[in-house]
Order: sequence, then structure tokens, then C-alpha cells
Amino acid sequence: MGMRKVAVIGAGMTKFVRRAQETPKELSWEAARMALESCELTMDDIQAVCMGTAPDAFDGVHMKGEYLSDGAGAWRKPYLRAFVGGGTGVFTPIQGWYHVASGLFDVVLLVCEEKMSSFYPHAQAAFVTIFDHTTERPLKPNLLWIFAIEMNRYMTAYGINKKDIARVAVQHKQNAANHPCAMLGEADITVDDVLNSEVLAWPVQRLDVSPVSDGAVAIILAAEHVARRLTSKPVWIEGVGWNLDTAYWTNRDLAYPRYVEYAARQAYEMAGIQEPRKEIHIAEPYDPFDYKVLHHLEGLGLAERGKAVDLYLNGTAAPDGDMPVCPSGGLLGVGNPIAAAGLMKIAELFWQLRGEAGARQVPGSPKKGIAQAWGDLMQVGTVVIMGR
Amino acid sequence: MTLLEHTKNAPQAWSGNLPVTSRYTYGLAGERFFRAMKDEGKIMGSYCPKCDHTYVPATVFCERCLGELSEWVDVGLVGELHTFTVLFVDCDGNPLEEPELVGLITFGDGGIIHRLEADPDELEIGMPMEAVLKPKAKRKGSILDIEGFRAVSK
Repeated sequence: MGMRKVAVIGAGMTKFVRRAQETPKELSWEAARMALESCELTMDDIQAVCMGTAPDAFDGVHMKGEYLSDGAGAWRKPYLRAFVGGGTGVFTPIQGWYHVASGLFDVVLLVCEEKMSSFYPHAQAAFVTIFDHTTERPLKPNLLWIFAIEMNRYMTAYGINKKDIARVAVQHKQNAANHPCAMLGEADITVDDVLNSEVLAWPVQRLDVSPVSDGAVAIILAAEHVARRLTSKPVWIEGVGWNLDTAYWTNRDLAYPRYVEYAARQAYEMAGIQEPRKEIHIAEPYDPFDYKVLHHLEGLGLAERGKAVDLYLNGTAAPDGDMPVCPSGGLLGVGNPIAAAGLMKIAELFWQLRGEAGARQVPGSPKKGIAQAWGDLMQVGTVVIMGR
Repeated sequence: MTLLEHTKNAPQAWSGNLPVTSRYTYGLAGERFFRAMKDEGKIMGSYCPKCDHTYVPATVFCERCLGELSEWVDVGLVGELHTFTVLFVDCDGNPLEEPELVGLITFGDGGIIHRLEADPDELEIGMPMEAVLKPKAKRKGSILDIEGFRAVSK
């Protein structure tokens, strides 16, 4: 394809918390600084900056890409904010990838930030404004609606029960107990805890959902010749893909995410992966809700349609299973500062593939991982494949 | 014609709004900057020794090198009028009863945008201007604890 090889060479991450004292730009700075320190670079080495951040309403600053720029190190550098809603955190590394793969830049800093606690009283209300102003907004919809409607359709289409789906939330929150930045890690959580939690919008209950969070993550990308000089353990971006389904959620297949499949196909083709279930060792699919993981694993081709839940029931998805899913703890366990949560998945693959994931390290020296996020008006899929 | 006038040929409309209410934190720097203003009546900057740059209002990081800034400095209440404007209409396009003055007052390598308490004819770019602070009991930890800037009294 005439593109250069691109590696992730450094990563940094703030704690994910319910309400941070730091301003959004201070959160961005903390993550950016940690990423620089992780690979011993300074801002003099950074040639361009990519920022990923979701709706302006969360931080409460319109055009927040500009607002965040100083904390992200964009001073007098080429800078661009990427935005595809919840898919942003995995799209930003794609944007960074083509900055470097194209030959335009050798070293690029990527920062993803969200401070959802600014929206008062609760960030969920921010979502009412993403819907069509005449056909939908008068009904005061929110994201829980969409998820509940989609979850019910998914459960009905394949005959899956809530008790089995709850295994996803349990697994991820248990995994997160080993993540130093996590806000909802719980080593002792049970399926009954999930099934007994408050019903928000049936079939969605409190513990089926990721929390509103504040946080930031940063990574550094480098072209091959620079990466090989700076680290003995580069982690390559081997495939990228992104795809958009119809903006009319009434016109989508709610039981199967076609947009994820198309994004994944693009990424697999680029990475030369023909049998994902054999070749992918770790998966970090987007998990804002527990059933969404199953949806996404199926779209990624890592499970048959309607069968992803088996990966949790038979132990395949566990940290010591054949294909650990969200060993980080994911959005359900670590937290969900939207764009930062997506980039956290890229950072997790970076740490796991380098063998630097500490207590979360999966066994067996994994060589390839896939990260995926989903967003916009619930119809974009973004996919990155990483390997060493 | 102001922005608020409607033409009779306008299409039928559906009314709505984007309701956003925010509860912001001051942040690491803001917490310290506004406490100094409220409690001590000071305008604080922060200095980056590596870049030889003084940020006003103070920040906890240098945007140039991303280094942490621990050296805070009191920059005083007198800055320099860098530029200004005279406002005649509000943001909806309605004429103001009295024109208002807004200017940029520089301190260190940064500055503060604020209201000017002055006669426009008296203003000269480059002149020193002084922050007028509210009485301590009325200060809330807000940029409006500064009522405005006026010419330094001779």
C-alpha cells in the first residue's frame, strides 16, 4: 500500500474517577506527560498532536479541541481533533497512524480526554441533543433507551438470557480489580449482584452499564526507523478500519453490528489476518454495556452470531483463557471517560503485548491484539489491530 | 434590522434548545489562582525556568515543554493595555444603552481580558492600567472579583 510501518512506543494514563479536581486540560497534560516520560521523549521530539474527545457538552466547553490543545502539547504544532462520538478513542490512533504511515510525520503524540462530571446534574442528559430535533427529541430519549431497545432485540433474536450476559459485567469488573487506574474494580462481584442492581431501562440494570467518568490517556506513535532506535519493544499498528452504518437507528440491524464487521474486515485485510479466532490473542472490544461486548465480538468475527456469550461461559474470555477479552477491565470496570476509554484499550494492548501489564498480564506472551470502539449516533465502528 | 427581527416569509419553525448546565472545577491551577485573588487580592502567574516564560493567569504546566510549574509569582495589579474595543451592540444584535469597553491587559508573558473603567478618548495602547478589586468580603473566587481595569492614578 506504500505506507510506512508505525509503532506505539509510549503510553500514559490518569486514574479514571467520578469527579476529577483537574480541569480537562490538566487531565490531558497529566496523560501526555506520562506518555512522554514512558519513552523518555520531550515535546521537542513531537512533530504533531492528535486529540480525541467526544461531545463538547461533557466538558462544558464548546470547541473543546481548541480548549484542550495546550494541555495536549499542541503549542505551535500541527494539531487536529478527531471526533466520532464513542468511537473516538480508537479512531484517534487511526488518525495518528495515517499521520505517520503517510510519511508526513515521524513522531506523533495522541491524547484522548473526557470530563463528564462537568455536565450537571448528570451527563446522560447531554445525549438528548444528539437526536433529530423534530422526530425524536420531543420524546426526550437518552442512551439508556437505545441500549435497552437494542439489548432486548439482541436477546430475543438469539434467545440469550440476562443471567448469562451478566457474566460479562462480572468478568470485566473482576479484571479491573487489578488495574491501578480503575474506578469500579471488584474482585468479589457476583452475577446476583448484577441481576439485583437497580433497573434503569429494562433490560438494562445499573451494573450492566459503565459509569460516567473523568480521565485522560495518551500514547506516542513513531515511524519504524525512529521506533527501532527508541525501544527494543515496539508494538506495531498492523491494521486499521472504520465504518459507518445508517444514521437512522430505525433502519439498522439491532441484533448485529454490520458497521463493526466492515471496519474489522478492513483492518484484518490490512493486517493479513485470515482466521481472526486463531490469530487474535487478546481482544479489547468496546464495552459500555455488557451485552455490547457480545455484539462487538460477533461483529469482529471472534464469535458466531449469538454465540459470543459462550466465550464467557466456557472461560475463553477470562484473563487466563484462550482469548482474554478486556483484560484491562474495560469500560465496565476501569471506567468510561468516553474518548479516553477507547484509547485506554490501545494502551492496554501496548502494555499486554510488551509484557508490562503488571497484575493484569495475561499468560502466554500474546503477540496480536485487537481494540474496537463504537459510537457516533451508535453506528460507527473503529478497529485497530496491534502486534509485535 | 437586528438579528431578532423575523420576516413574514420565514419557513415554519420547530422550537428547541440545547440545554447544557455545567458545574466546573477550578482545577489544580485555578484553585490556587482564585484563592490568591479572593483571600490576598493578588494576581498570580507561574514561571517556567526551562522556557523562560511567565503564564498569567497561572497554570500548573508549561504548554511549551509540558513541564510542571512550581514557581508561582505575584505579578502585581498593574499591567499594560495591549489593545481594546468599544462595544455598541449585545450578542443578540440589540444596541447597548451605553457603549462598553473591553481590553487586554498584559502581565508577564500572558494577560487578562476584562472590562475597562475609562473614557475611550483617554485610552492609549501601551498605557499602564490597574485592576480594581471588589472589597475582600464581596470576593467569591471569580474573575469578576476584578471589577475592571482603570488608568493608574497619578
